[in-house]
Amino acid sequence: MTVEGNQVIDVQRVVKDFRPGFGLRRKRVLHGVTFQVYQGEIFGFVGPNGAGKTTTLKILMGLIRSTEGSASILGCDVAESEFRDRIGFLPENPYFYPFLTAREILDFYARLCGVDSRQRAARISELLEVVNLSYAADARLRTYSKGMLQRVGVAQALINEPEVVFLDEPMSGLDPIGRKEIRDVILSLRAAGKTVFMTTHILHDVEMICDRVAIIVKGAIRHQGRIEDFLPDATVSTDVVLSRLPAETAAELEEKFSVEMRGLGERVELTLPEKRVRDVLELALASGADVISVTPHRSSLEEVFLNAVQEGGDPE
Amino acid sequence: MNSLLRVQALAVNTFREALRNKLLYTLLGFGILMIGVGVLLATLSYVEVDEILQDMVMGAIRFFSAGIAIFIGIGLIHTEIERRTIFTILSKPVSRTEFLIGKWAGLTFTVWLQLGLMALAFGVVSSLAGAPLGAGHAVAIALIGLELMLLVAIATFFSAFTTPMLAALFTVGLWMIGHLSRDLRALGEQSELESVTSMTDFIFLVMPDFEVFNKTLQAVHGLPIPASEIWLAIVYALGYTVCTLLFGSMIFQRRDFK
Repeated sequence: MTVEGNQVIDVQRVVKDFRPGFGLRRKRVLHGVTFQVYQGEIFGFVGPNGAGKTTTLKILMGLIRSTEGSASILGCDVAESEFRDRIGFLPENPYFYPFLTAREILDFYARLCGVDSRQRAARISELLEVVNLSYAADARLRTYSKGMLQRVGVAQALINEPEVVFLDEPMSGLDPIGRKEIRDVILSLRAAGKTVFMTTHILHDVEMICDRVAIIVKGAIRHQGRIEDFLPDATVSTDVVLSRLPAETAAELEEKFSVEMRGLGERVELTLPEKRVRDVLELALASGADVISVTPHRSSLEEVFLNAVQEGGDPE
Repeated sequence: MNSLLRVQALAVNTFREALRNKLLYTLLGFGILMIGVGVLLATLSYVEVDEILQDMVMGAIRFFSAGIAIFIGIGLIHTEIERRTIFTILSKPVSRTEFLIGKWAGLTFTVWLQLGLMALAFGVVSSLAGAPLGAGHAVAIALIGLELMLLVAIATFFSAFTTPMLAALFTVGLWMIGHLSRDLRALGEQSELESVTSMTDFIFLVMPDFEVFNKTLQAVHGLPIPASEIWLAIVYALGYTVCTLLFGSMIFQRRDFK
């Protein structure tokens, strides 16, 4: 758990209007987005497709300008470019010059970031090792798979040893091993005191690694806070699986506790409120039944996310 | 200093990318082919064979070099946006002006290199045909180099905010007008209507005058090229290029990359 210390990213009431075409009415895609990210935390920015995640990220990267509001990174206005040697950025589905090799493209980005020529080669080799691409370092990028390009993208985002790293869908296109590798890289960044801002669709990853999260729906922030605040410890329900349950006990359970039973061959599955679990288990065990499993269920981020999406009417 | 290093990195990368463009080799091949055809056509004449040969060859060099400058230049920025390579570049400490200048410098270097190759072919053909070669020829070719530098800047300018199709249309249009604007002004001066004269004068002033760089006639006929005209061409090319890139940068600053 991180302590909310120095503010690294500050987004205040950002509004963005796009004109879909010449002569057409402007369309508002961000409605006063406000959030802060603090030093050393992993911040998850989640939302459905078209919610405004990438637009917000592009504003932070200076690729598009906000219509209203302000955004700053490390105390610098996002419209400036000088501070960008202190940040790293991985766009969604990154594409690189196909005629270059991974080593050459990293050298190119290192030069743009002003990485000292004496440290460049060592830094590139180190990063290729980190993203597990050393074996293909001198192959042309046109021969790379999507997952390999994603890893090159992660490497280029880290080439300048940034203080803040922005990752747009970093797990996209990766197999389970690749996802774990990238998760490990993100966790190692936090361990090194860096700040990570990531957008993702994979809520399981957010639950696993993010300290705080903001949910954006239709261009407006619906929820934001610590991941623990989203996921209270209280168990919502418990699944109990029993075998060799006598018919009369089953009838008694149904009558006494009004539980719903589902037959699974010789087994039965019951879904219970937490307060009934002890009584049901005592009765079942006393009747000679075997307890196969007891699985408590907590509210997941996915449920919070789905609720936020369903609740979300038009912001204005 | 850092800014120069960033522009250099972008220029080198643009140069490497341009060298992989098939269009470059197609137009370069055609250019060299036309130089060869020039030899054949020149032999059809009984008078001034050398002058006709060199005139045709220099025309081919100008035409095909301009083709390379325009048709690679128009996609210079657009391709970066379309492929989204610009996202990672602009997220580094690279200003949009540096990006534009780096792209322009890389392509200018590429067209200078192909101009050098065509100039070499020109030298070989002239030598084989026994046509005289002098400093005038070198100056005329160097001035084509300045013309190409400006042309790349114009293509980059349009590429910064419009589609390759429109950028091609505008750049080719400007190049053609730039070679005709003196004739247009001369035509306007003949007119009795003051409005026509004013309009042709205005077009001449606003549009680039590419004839400043055309010293083919003097070179081919061994006429002296005054130093003042060379300096005028240098200053004109530099001034116009800087202004074009500056305007391009101002527009590019305001562009959203969706």
